[in-house]
Amino acid sequence: MNAKHARSETAVPALTLFVTGDAPRSRRARANLADALKAMGQESVTRREVDLLAHPEQTVTYSVFATPALLRTSPTGEMSVLYGDLSEQDKLRHFLADIEPASG
Amino acid sequence: MSETDWQLVKRPTGIPGLDALTHGGLPQHQATLVVGQAGTGKTVLGLQILAHAVEQGDGGVFVTFEESPAQVWRNADSFRWGSVLNGSDAWTAIDARPQPGAETSGEFDIEALLAAVAAAADRCRNPWVIIDGIDQLLQRQPKREIAIDQVRQINERCEQGGWTMLLTGKIDGEGIAPRHLEGSEFMLPTTVALSATLIDGRLNRQLRVAKYRGSGHVADTVPMVMNDHGIQLPYQVVPAYGPATAGTGRVSSGIERLDQVLGGGPYRGSSTLISGRPGTAKSTLAAGFARAAAERDERALYVSFDELEGPYVRNLASVGIDLQPHIDAGRIRFCGLSAWSSLVAEHVLLLQRLIEEFEPDCLVIDPVSALLKASGTEGPRAATERILDLARRRGITTVMTSLTNEDDPEGESTSSHVSTIADTWIVLDYNVRGGERNRSLSVVKSRGSAHSNQQRELLLSSDGMDLADVYEHGTEVLMGTARVQKESEERATVRRRDLERTRRRQDLARRIEQARSEMERLEVELELDEQEGEESDRLGREYTEHMQRRRETGDLAPGDATAGRDHDQRGGDE
Repeated sequence: MNAKHARSETAVPALTLFVTGDAPRSRRARANLADALKAMGQESVTRREVDLLAHPEQTVTYSVFATPALLRTSPTGEMSVLYGDLSEQDKLRHFLADIEPASG
Repeated sequence: MSETDWQLVKRPTGIPGLDALTHGGLPQHQATLVVGQAGTGKTVLGLQILAHAVEQGDGGVFVTFEESPAQVWRNADSFRWGSVLNGSDAWTAIDARPQPGAETSGEFDIEALLAAVAAAADRCRNPWVIIDGIDQLLQRQPKREIAIDQVRQINERCEQGGWTMLLTGKIDGEGIAPRHLEGSEFMLPTTVALSATLIDGRLNRQLRVAKYRGSGHVADTVPMVMNDHGIQLPYQVVPAYGPATAGTGRVSSGIERLDQVLGGGPYRGSSTLISGRPGTAKSTLAAGFARAAAERDERALYVSFDELEGPYVRNLASVGIDLQPHIDAGRIRFCGLSAWSSLVAEHVLLLQRLIEEFEPDCLVIDPVSALLKASGTEGPRAATERILDLARRRGITTVMTSLTNEDDPEGESTSSHVSTIADTWIVLDYNVRGGERNRSLSVVKSRGSAHSNQQRELLLSSDGMDLADVYEHGTEVLMGTARVQKESEERATVRRRDLERTRRRQDLARRIEQARSEMERLEVELELDEQEGEESDRLGREYTEHMQRRRETGDLAPGDATAGRDHDQRGGDE
């Protein structure tokens, strides 16, 4: 399990949260995401955070121009994006539905 | 804050018409909102301005929210200036299209966008930033106020970063704000609205500077043309060559007697309108004018609507006007256009370009009324004025023909107002009389010239054109056979009158002669009478003297006795 987790982290994490510094909406998104995963029992899903103010080149790479934005990458490499501070819980739950728990 | 910090500085766009409308360009280091429905040219406007900047050695960033960068490059490449962009690393394209199927949950910031633009813009000199389709991003904001606030944020960033920006957005209806961004126009100092309407199945494009805070500008909706040169506003460009000068030199119309009628010919740089019904020889007269120019070794541009060069030149040759040698020598350029094929504004652009390329001394537009057939929101009047203004400023002498209706010879030209703009107006017509149609010419007006208002006969033959002297008969002007007949009648009358006068003079002379000889005869008679009278007086005196002498001597002379006897005898006989 540990090995698998480690491999996932070096490869593509299931969720990437793009933020811009410590902006209020970025903070809210971070909290909303944590709450939702907790409620779904998916706290162990692999995820990382990218600060686009620190790495503006990632903006173009991921084509994410609105922050915060949550990028979900499926095991097959498909990507989907949810923009916003994730305050609309229904949309967030729908976006996270059937997400594969990292622990399997 | 020093004065230079807050003063409005305008940055030229490189689109001459737009810079004229805005009196110098768009606000530097601020964002201009460009709105329009789909396909009205918002993206092209941005690319064209960017291409001009790159050409000037500046740079920029093009952020696309709708089209892929490849589509943007292809778009640019379809214009002449496309190669400037596609071969240059002075600018950066940023693909900002949202992920397919992306959704939104809650509010978001645009800091990432601005950071990405800044990263690219910082590498450029004096950057233009085009954000194409900002509505694609901001319409995702759950609250409109946030979106509008972010428009303001973008503008502030422009001032900080030294970016001059176009922010384009799509509109649905007539407004000047993109959908979901109503109110954002108040956040930006300048708004340019693009529109397009179908008229007679043709797309008529228009541009309007809807708002320009802190600056005077032309607020009209003006026609816009998009061709391989990109966006152009044909009516806005003020030619570089100064105001029109009024020369006093005159040029020949090609007909000596018409020149006389016009007080020496049309002024150089003036405009002449020749109007008339079909077949009144308008084109022939116009072609004669062009030929006269070519014969003076000047260049004439002959723009013909709905006529082909070949048949046209052939037909003119039949009335003695051979243009071919002049065309071959490059003194006359014939340009056949199809009135239907383009918008009025496109015709204006083309004529401008032809004039700039060929630099003619004389311009013929035959017929200018064909512009009425071309589609356009602005109508043909603006087009004609525009062309005439251009010609006048360049000192080009212009001749236009105008087709009029069969029943209303002055109607159509009046409606197009060409006749009021033109300096000289010549009306050609027919006079039908005695089973003949004869062409007539009259000068309705000629500014700055004493001219005859008399209708004249226009004669066409294989030798060319000429004007016949007017023949006045009472209040009528006679032409053709009627003129010839009347002239010969009149000549006979004159001859009769002359004969009569001669005869009468001779008669009187004869009578004077007779009287004179009678007088001589009477004088002779009088002299004889006088001589006779003197003789008898003398004889009488001698007799009296003789008788007195006899009485004094007392005896009668024998002669006297005889006389007494005679007396007696006579009495005896009774």
